[in-house]
Amino acid sequence: MGANIYRNKKPALAFLLPAFLFMVLFLYYPFFKTIINSFMHLKQLGATATEFNAPWYTNYEEMLHDPHVWTSVKNTIIMMLVTLVGQVGIAIVLALMVDNIGRGKQIFRTLYFFPIVISATALGLMFNLIFLRDKGMVNQVLEMLGKQDLTDWKAEGIALVTMMAPVMWQYVGFYFVILVTGLNNISDELYEAATIDGATALQRVRYISVPMLHNVICTCSVLAVTGALKVFDLPWVMFPKGMPLKTTFLTGTYMYYQTMETKNVDYGAALAVLIVVLGVVLAKVVNAVFREKDY
Amino acid sequence: MMKKRMMAAMLAGAMVLSVTACGNSSGAEKAAGTEGDAPAEAPAAEAEAPAAESAGSVELVVTTTFAGEDSNAQNYKDAVKAWEAETGNAVVDTSATADETFKTRVATDFETGSEPDVLFFFNGADSNSFIEAGKVVSIDEIREEYPDYASNMNEDLITASLVDNKKYAVPANGFWEAMFVNTEILEAAGVAMPGADYTMDQFKADCEKIKAAGYAPIAAALGNIPHYWWEFAIFNNQSPATHLEIPENAGDENGQAWVQGMNDIKELYELGYFPENTLSATDDETFAMFTEGKAAFLIDGSWKVGGIVGACQSDPNDPATLDSAKLDKFDVTYVPGKGDRKATDLVGGLSSGYFITRKAWDDPVKRDAAVSFVEYLTSDEMVPKFAQHGASALKNAPEVDTSEFNVLQIKAMNMMAGTTSLTGAVQDLFAGDCRVSTFDGMPEIVTGRVVAEDAVAEGLEAYHNQ
Repeated sequence: MGANIYRNKKPALAFLLPAFLFMVLFLYYPFFKTIINSFMHLKQLGATATEFNAPWYTNYEEMLHDPHVWTSVKNTIIMMLVTLVGQVGIAIVLALMVDNIGRGKQIFRTLYFFPIVISATALGLMFNLIFLRDKGMVNQVLEMLGKQDLTDWKAEGIALVTMMAPVMWQYVGFYFVILVTGLNNISDELYEAATIDGATALQRVRYISVPMLHNVICTCSVLAVTGALKVFDLPWVMFPKGMPLKTTFLTGTYMYYQTMETKNVDYGAALAVLIVVLGVVLAKVVNAVFREKDY
Repeated sequence: MMKKRMMAAMLAGAMVLSVTACGNSSGAEKAAGTEGDAPAEAPAAEAEAPAAESAGSVELVVTTTFAGEDSNAQNYKDAVKAWEAETGNAVVDTSATADETFKTRVATDFETGSEPDVLFFFNGADSNSFIEAGKVVSIDEIREEYPDYASNMNEDLITASLVDNKKYAVPANGFWEAMFVNTEILEAAGVAMPGADYTMDQFKADCEKIKAAGYAPIAAALGNIPHYWWEFAIFNNQSPATHLEIPENAGDENGQAWVQGMNDIKELYELGYFPENTLSATDDETFAMFTEGKAAFLIDGSWKVGGIVGACQSDPNDPATLDSAKLDKFDVTYVPGKGDRKATDLVGGLSSGYFITRKAWDDPVKRDAAVSFVEYLTSDEMVPKFAQHGASALKNAPEVDTSEFNVLQIKAMNMMAGTTSLTGAVQDLFAGDCRVSTFDGMPEIVTGRVVAEDAVAEGLEAYHNQ
């Protein structure tokens, strides 16, 4: 009788039902509605679309000729590379270093994780002050070091760097904590055996830590790439409307701009579909590249 | 085993019910709050909620533009506090600075059914969408139940809606747009204070001197808020009589005036009269340049008087901390004129007012409070406090008491005394996505990436397709 209770799945289904309904109502229904809206004529938020665009694929055709779409896709791909190298890469280095120190691991975990708990909007406002042209922190430091003229950190050529640096900084701690946890799961016996065999610290990292972390790094990479597609608030606060000259749009901020600022709601819906397609394709690519291994 | 099954079933049932209950309550709220054409149901749905407010306290959600650097931000806070004390009601204030983001937020609130009960908002094209949707109540409809509503206002000065020519918004205070000057920079650059006969050619000559002295002549963030320059640059190629006519296309006479206006801004940009970071800076940054003595001229609205005064206080919320010597260095004058527009022909009027939403009107608990709130804020005693150096729509406007005015307010009053005309802002009629090509697109226009004529044509096409 004892084992029979696990065969009856009905109570489990009953528990799953509310969450399922919630997902249908607030995720799947809006998702399919967005796909439909991308073919409709809709120029007002909250309004009901009554007619299809003529032709119905107008928005998708427009996307091909819209230079800002290509700018936003290009910037988003750059953001993905930055998150992979800048967030996961730096997190790996930090995690390996912290794993090698004797005491104070917990302090570093807390310190590196801390930016995650601050709202991205607040961080955006803070970095606005840091990168302010006049009396911003960075320019003041450069002035103290003898630089004569002020640097406009939001100017066209450098704006992307200014936008991506805080995003990178914010999430390093997130991957750091995942990776440190992964390192903790590696048996000490492996390190001890390697030490007895005469392996140096670098060799232990190269031949034990990194290979054993492979699956964790894969997970972090998938999270980083898909997360880069969702980055929105911090770039929007720092560079509203793709400032300057619409060069800093990401797919998310451009979709928001079209939907909320210009009220081109149907085009915004089409951009949302593009983001989903990009997300699925890129997640597949990343999964293929960073394939997890069975040990 | 049976006991466990029952427990599991009960828990599952409770979860499903809780979700259903959440759905029901939000549905009821929607019925009460947003379905303007179902007043009979609304009171029933709301009937239980005010039980907690039986002590006479009604909570009104109010949105205004009296926030941030607006001259009346403090007046508004004081007035709300006084009204709350007088009536025992409470105000949930969601006011914000009047920029495009604020307008979008208000429009979205209406579209998604989460509009405020009362709002002080623009009565031009920006209010078209919620008037078309029937989400605000006309003054005439309110007067059917409250005959004295807005009776202290001059009817001719209450602006009618562009949608149906009905009057919805009770005006409180007017506005003007003019040019603020940092006189300290003018002195340093050897430039005389501009007067009533100031021309665009003189302005450019002055800008050249100011630039040579190492200052930015114009404080403006063209990539963020190009609105004031947009308005006056177009106005400078028209006259007060034609300014409010929206062109049919970029090729007609008025359309060409718009194109020339955009090209005039481009010329000033190419001459290097805007701050170096004008395309990447925010309006707050360029305003700070002006108040901190790094930029000489600032075209802005009457609400900016408060912002400048605030910047001269060590504590922006405490008038006692005002640095009078610093404030003395600021002045306000006319915007340089060109062609048929004299410098003293300014942009201004009564472009905002208090709306009562259908949602509040259909709620018997909130209706009285909403009317009381608007009547209080638009009373003969309150309006002069808000109008200050600007106009009002009062029938019996009292003499302005200048004894409590600061030096910049007095300068503003003197400047206003010399105006030859006050014309509304054409951008108030030209709202929505039609502005995108010339507002958001201003950086592309001034850098030459988009031809002004194309940008104007795109905007006009969007306007005529609305």
